[in-house]
Amino acid sequence: MNSNDAVTRILFEQFSAAQVRLFYALGYAAIAIFFYGVYVQVRKYRRGAALALEGGVWSRFGDMVSTVLRHRTLDRRDHAAGGAHRLIFYGFVLLFIGTSTITLQYDILQPLFGITFWHGDFYLGFSLVLDVAGVMLIAGLVYMMVRRGWLKPPKLDYARPDRDPGDPDFDRPQYRREDWAFLWILIVIGGTGYLLEAARLVWLEARPDVWDTRWWSPVGALIAEALRGLGLSAHGGGTLRMGLWWLHGLLALAFIALIPFTKVKHVFTSMGSLMARDPLAAQRLPRIPESQATPGVTKITDFNWKQLLSLDACTKCGRCHEACPARAVGAPLSPRDVILSLREFAKSTLEYGPVPEAAELDVHGKSVGQVTQETLWSCRTCMACVEICPVAVEHVPIIVQMRRKLVEEGAMDPLLTKTLQTIHKTGNSFGESKRKRAAWTKALPFPVKDARKEPVDVLWFVGDYASFDPRNQKVTQTFATLLHEAGVDFGILFEGESNAGNDVRRVGEEGLYEVLATANIAALGTAKFNTLVTTDPHSYNTIRNEYPDFGGKYPIVHYTSFVKQLFAEGKLKVTTPLSYRTTFHDPCHLGRYNKGYEAPRDVLKLLGCELVEMGRNRANSFCCGAGGGRIWIPDPVGTEKPAQNRIQEAAAIAGLDVYVVSCPKDLTMFEDALKTTGNEGKFVVKELIELIREAIPARRTEAVTA
Amino acid sequence: MKIMVAVKQVVALDEDFEFRADGRDVDPDFFIRDLNEWDDFSLEEAVKIKEAAANGATAATAPSAAAPAAEVVAVSIGPEEADDVLRKALAKGADRAVRVWDEAIEGSDPIAIARILAAVAKRESPDLLFAGVQSSDQSFASTGIATAAFLDWPHAAVVAKLDYAPGTARAVLRRELEGGLLHEVDIQCPAVLTIQLGINTPRYASLRSIKQAAAKPIELLSPADLGLTSSDLGEAGSASRVRRMSVPDKGRAQLIEGDVAAQADQLAALIREFKGESV
Repeated sequence: MNSNDAVTRILFEQFSAAQVRLFYALGYAAIAIFFYGVYVQVRKYRRGAALALEGGVWSRFGDMVSTVLRHRTLDRRDHAAGGAHRLIFYGFVLLFIGTSTITLQYDILQPLFGITFWHGDFYLGFSLVLDVAGVMLIAGLVYMMVRRGWLKPPKLDYARPDRDPGDPDFDRPQYRREDWAFLWILIVIGGTGYLLEAARLVWLEARPDVWDTRWWSPVGALIAEALRGLGLSAHGGGTLRMGLWWLHGLLALAFIALIPFTKVKHVFTSMGSLMARDPLAAQRLPRIPESQATPGVTKITDFNWKQLLSLDACTKCGRCHEACPARAVGAPLSPRDVILSLREFAKSTLEYGPVPEAAELDVHGKSVGQVTQETLWSCRTCMACVEICPVAVEHVPIIVQMRRKLVEEGAMDPLLTKTLQTIHKTGNSFGESKRKRAAWTKALPFPVKDARKEPVDVLWFVGDYASFDPRNQKVTQTFATLLHEAGVDFGILFEGESNAGNDVRRVGEEGLYEVLATANIAALGTAKFNTLVTTDPHSYNTIRNEYPDFGGKYPIVHYTSFVKQLFAEGKLKVTTPLSYRTTFHDPCHLGRYNKGYEAPRDVLKLLGCELVEMGRNRANSFCCGAGGGRIWIPDPVGTEKPAQNRIQEAAAIAGLDVYVVSCPKDLTMFEDALKTTGNEGKFVVKELIELIREAIPARRTEAVTA
Repeated sequence: MKIMVAVKQVVALDEDFEFRADGRDVDPDFFIRDLNEWDDFSLEEAVKIKEAAANGATAATAPSAAAPAAEVVAVSIGPEEADDVLRKALAKGADRAVRVWDEAIEGSDPIAIARILAAVAKRESPDLLFAGVQSSDQSFASTGIATAAFLDWPHAAVVAKLDYAPGTARAVLRRELEGGLLHEVDIQCPAVLTIQLGINTPRYASLRSIKQAAAKPIELLSPADLGLTSSDLGEAGSASRVRRMSVPDKGRAQLIEGDVAAQADQLAALIREFKGESV
């Protein structure tokens, strides 16, 4: 036990009163600058639109703290960076706590109450902890420097796909300078801390309270030994200590003052953004408030405070940039750059002075900080960016809200305009009349119930592609036959069903979405059923997550879960196990959007198939390129399509027999990509439903006569 | 300045449909209704002229030189369902909408329709009257020109380009002729122009704007309001009458294979079959 009061942290020893006053003055100035910066930033966010968060503040706080402490989101898809950040984070937190407790005693408890605790065992223990924390911090920083300087992962390249070399904001060298300045200032603060500690030890080597306990600061003690070995005297140590003290102190104060003005602010903004996270950000898009005169986002101030805050939370980590399918095929979109553009725009317009005129707040265009139409229309709303963002930036609603403004102005591809008009006119994207929606049932040897006329156990929401696309109709008929053979009491809405609206909403045509959702909810209201099943992941998402906002709450399952249950109940039995080598493509709207990762895989295994995963699977599945209305907009000629990129990934699996999909749009996209990539004949694209049929051959008497 | 735009709600069909009991038209149950494509372009042309005038007015420096207020009036003749196309027209920028209807109008041919449009034009006295070159469902391509005849106004058909400054007495336009030729014409206003596809890019009317347009009134007129009597309307006022509607018999084609003798045999058999002789 060491309860010696003299064993303590040496603070202002040998400082003149003037020097102490100077230090305090600088300290207060740094804190004042810090708070002024906080005020400027908070005012910037408050200049955005209002938003009331759902749920309690404390549960949000708890979730945020848990995410931050575990570094859960930072570890994903980049363990090395996550680990290094963890070292920096915990090192920094411990050092911050250590410094704070010194202030707590020296400036608050001791002068006011005479309480002291920074001595004896507590001091020794803490000095050990802080020495270790410093090593963690510096180790993390060194790795980050190696990463930026030598490893150079492509996701940290700030060159933009939506700008040309030579544009003033093409690769933003100021960001690189800031990154390095940030790393250097921290590492120098850490390094000078150790040197200072060592110099102090040498200076006070004659004082046993200090010298004999030096190994409680092992790094400092080692350096002190080295300095002594190099001939540093106690007097020299004293001089060095004084110099380093001021250098270290001034750097630390400068760092504090700069927090709100530099990337350092992410320590606060990312926590704020995580706290404001909407777990259904992409799955359930926001409605347009009645009070809003123009739909969507025109001005930077049309974004809500949470969105403006999240722009500042972005740390340019590049995970979204890496995950984006549009970026991967060379489209002029990087989710990272959308966010950074808007951040720069908000910074230049909303930080200082009064809010400028509306015309100067327009975020649409080609100038610095603005986002181009081409960028916005490149998005597939696949949610890869939102899903991987470690700090809860929600790109998809930002992009869709900006698209809403473009739709209102008609600033979109003529084919998309045509499709929207067609959907308005006929209720489907194929331009077929409503009464043809259930034409596929005519080829079946049994009648399909009209759920509007008689009660059914299972109501099947078929969706546009499965109803009208000739290739998908075959799958649809097969599924109907399987349900029939399994004895499921099911029905459909016939011409009462309209396009579910999922993609229309993600295009940004909110008015048309409301028409479609309302029409479907009305049609569903006329039917009596226990469960809603859909073969279409897009319909599944909007009915599950968005219809409740319009008064339509239904128990809905995707067919993969439903079929899995039919197998479990013995209503479907595999009679001819398959021995295919397969890989499974997670549809965005089933997988990432609704976490339906396992049911299709379980069914594949039940069928006897071997499942070989592609590198990008489950949450990191690579979009087929059809989402967000992009299926209605032709991809530019001569560029790779996301579906082709994906098929090439599958083609690398040796001996692959079947590329399995469970989404009608996927079937269309990938059968096309199989042909255009020249992989036809090597393997086939099949709906999971088709494999189920193969494993359960129809009995001859019930065979479909198509 | 005023431009009147005649708009029509046309119908489309899919493969399966049935005729009405009297066999003179398709059963309305099978109709997919929409704004006539040509009228989408003529409406856009009118709105563009209006907007250009408005922009010119704001740019004008002299406050005394008040530009003529530009107005676009969309007119449709049809039953209540036709309000849909008028709402679309309002959403796209028409200032007013007028619908004319009475049971007696049922069965009108383009001449009778043109008589009604001419009556509306007299009431509105626009500087220009736009109609589509034709309607996509009936393809008479005569309503616009017949309206000009009733009004005794100059007219130009198949207009592919138009230069018109509101307030001026003349318009310069280009008409599309056969073989890719163009006619450049200088026309005295008021005039009737039938507008060709491709003259512009019609804007998209978002559902939100259509919904907002629903709040604007649609003026409903009866033939009597326009001074027309039953003899001016329907079959009584028409120069032609639809007798019957039918689907043409499908032709057939067949490749005759084999050597010359076998081909000749088959051909002879086909000729006999065609003449109705037993084979």
